[in-house]
Amino acid sequence: MSAASASAASAQSATRDPAATTRRGPTLPRLVASEWTKLVSLRSTLWTAAVTVAVAFTVTYLSANASSGDPGFDPARSLPDGVALSQLGTLVLGVLAGTADFRTGAFRSTFTAAPRRGRVLAARTIATAGVGAVVALLAVAATVLGVVPAARSRDMSVDLAGGSAPQVLLGSWLMLLGMALLGLGIGSLLRRTVPAMVAALALVFVLPVGISLGAEMAMSPTEMMAESPAGPASLDPVSTVTAFLPGDAAFRMTTTADDGGVDGAPDLGPWGGGLVFAAWIVLPLAGAALRLRTRDVT
Amino acid sequence: MTTQTADRRAVTLSRVLASEWTKTAGLASTLWVPITTVLVAVAVPLGLTMFVRPGDGTTAAGLVVSGVILAQLGTLVLGVLVGTSDHATSTAATTYTAVPRRLPVLVAQVVLTTALALVTAVVALGAAVLVTGPGREAAGLGLDLAAHDGTARAFVGYVLYLTAVALLGLGLGAVLRRPAGALVTGVAVLVVLDQVLAANPGRVTDTVRVLLPGVGTRLVETDARLALTESASLGPHLGTWGPGLVLAAWVVGLLFAAAVRLRRGDVT
Repeated sequence: MSAASASAASAQSATRDPAATTRRGPTLPRLVASEWTKLVSLRSTLWTAAVTVAVAFTVTYLSANASSGDPGFDPARSLPDGVALSQLGTLVLGVLAGTADFRTGAFRSTFTAAPRRGRVLAARTIATAGVGAVVALLAVAATVLGVVPAARSRDMSVDLAGGSAPQVLLGSWLMLLGMALLGLGIGSLLRRTVPAMVAALALVFVLPVGISLGAEMAMSPTEMMAESPAGPASLDPVSTVTAFLPGDAAFRMTTTADDGGVDGAPDLGPWGGGLVFAAWIVLPLAGAALRLRTRDVT
Repeated sequence: MTTQTADRRAVTLSRVLASEWTKTAGLASTLWVPITTVLVAVAVPLGLTMFVRPGDGTTAAGLVVSGVILAQLGTLVLGVLVGTSDHATSTAATTYTAVPRRLPVLVAQVVLTTALALVTAVVALGAAVLVTGPGREAAGLGLDLAAHDGTARAFVGYVLYLTAVALLGLGLGAVLRRPAGALVTGVAVLVVLDQVLAANPGRVTDTVRVLLPGVGTRLVETDARLALTESASLGPHLGTWGPGLVLAAWVVGLLFAAAVRLRRGDVT
């Protein structure tokens, strides 16, 4: 008890002095700390992170070994292969981070302690971004380790500073981190694990495959063969739609600018892909913030 | 206690089935998941018909079944929910106190999931045929079930595939008992793993792809397309119904694992 609180007590009506209130209030750093504790003390977070990194290593290792016999083998080209599967891990991690409070009922304590709900979402986004950044970094490092054996066997060195490697590595890292945030946005918006998981998996993985394979199924194979030389000239509606979906947009960040993208779709380029992906992340997070502000938390 | 009252009180399979039906029908998701599945199964062919021009190579049968990849997510969810809802809500304690032999519950869940998925798949197929009707007519694409190009087989395969995926979901749900884990595993083995392997075509990867449950989508392809798929794959050729056997093996294996866990392990 300080002199300040003694003088506050003498004022009778005030039970707490303003300085102590600010010190005890749910400031953003404190909210981030509490969200961080909630997130990293979940077993599902640790398991998902471990599986993500293990998958990144295994898939890259197998894929680099499989393609190391090719004449034009470039170790750097095998780097994004592992990321394509391990993005599932960070996406799931994000969804679980977004729904955990609502699944366990902990949201009652959370929003009683921090009635300004928007800040809680901001803190949760920061904490998830932190965990996602670490997991993504470990996963990208695992993909680099994964290509080393294949490169060694051909007496090639893995040059991480030259050519397209820095952009591929940075793009992979951003993609994995972004998937965690996309999952968080969908999880926070829908609040229930199963619908959120279905929505996230559908949007990122099933929808692009579903419409492109569906379009392929609808065509008779003989016509497709005849048409393919003239194909790239015109815009194909299906490829155009999938290019703007989060999965393809994010994956464009892991390939180089002169890669050209998919035939029949506008090429977004690594930067454009990143921006489209960022829009997909902001949209559900904004929806979640709006729902938190205007609706009840039950 | 007379034998008559004992009979009236016995736990018969039909009574377990009735109780499983009551539990499932009481969930809002039992209504919404099939409706969404049908909508998705119709939306893809409807969207594709908007871009169909006469003579661009679209086939009528292919168009109708083109929603199958997206629709499988719906029946997967259906099966996962039937398999996990008891454990997610801790009704499991009540269920297995009432049915101490446990296995009848799994059998009833299999019957229930099959029935729900079968109805959903038939409705989805019928709706896709009807909704694409005007667009197909404008493009001159008539459906001929009697034609020997595999149209009828692809339609049967459509219903069988969606039903089998629901049972795959049930098996995953009953083995893992967590809806999130079962969903992620299901989507990974049906869709994501196949896509990752497809990025690196080769003898090994194509063999693995043929052994994944998603190979069952070949049941839905018409003869000409199936021939192309087979010739493009470096893995073993499965023929017309082989993909169905691979998928069936997954379903039986998972349900067997679920039965073993149910009998040997605790239900908490």
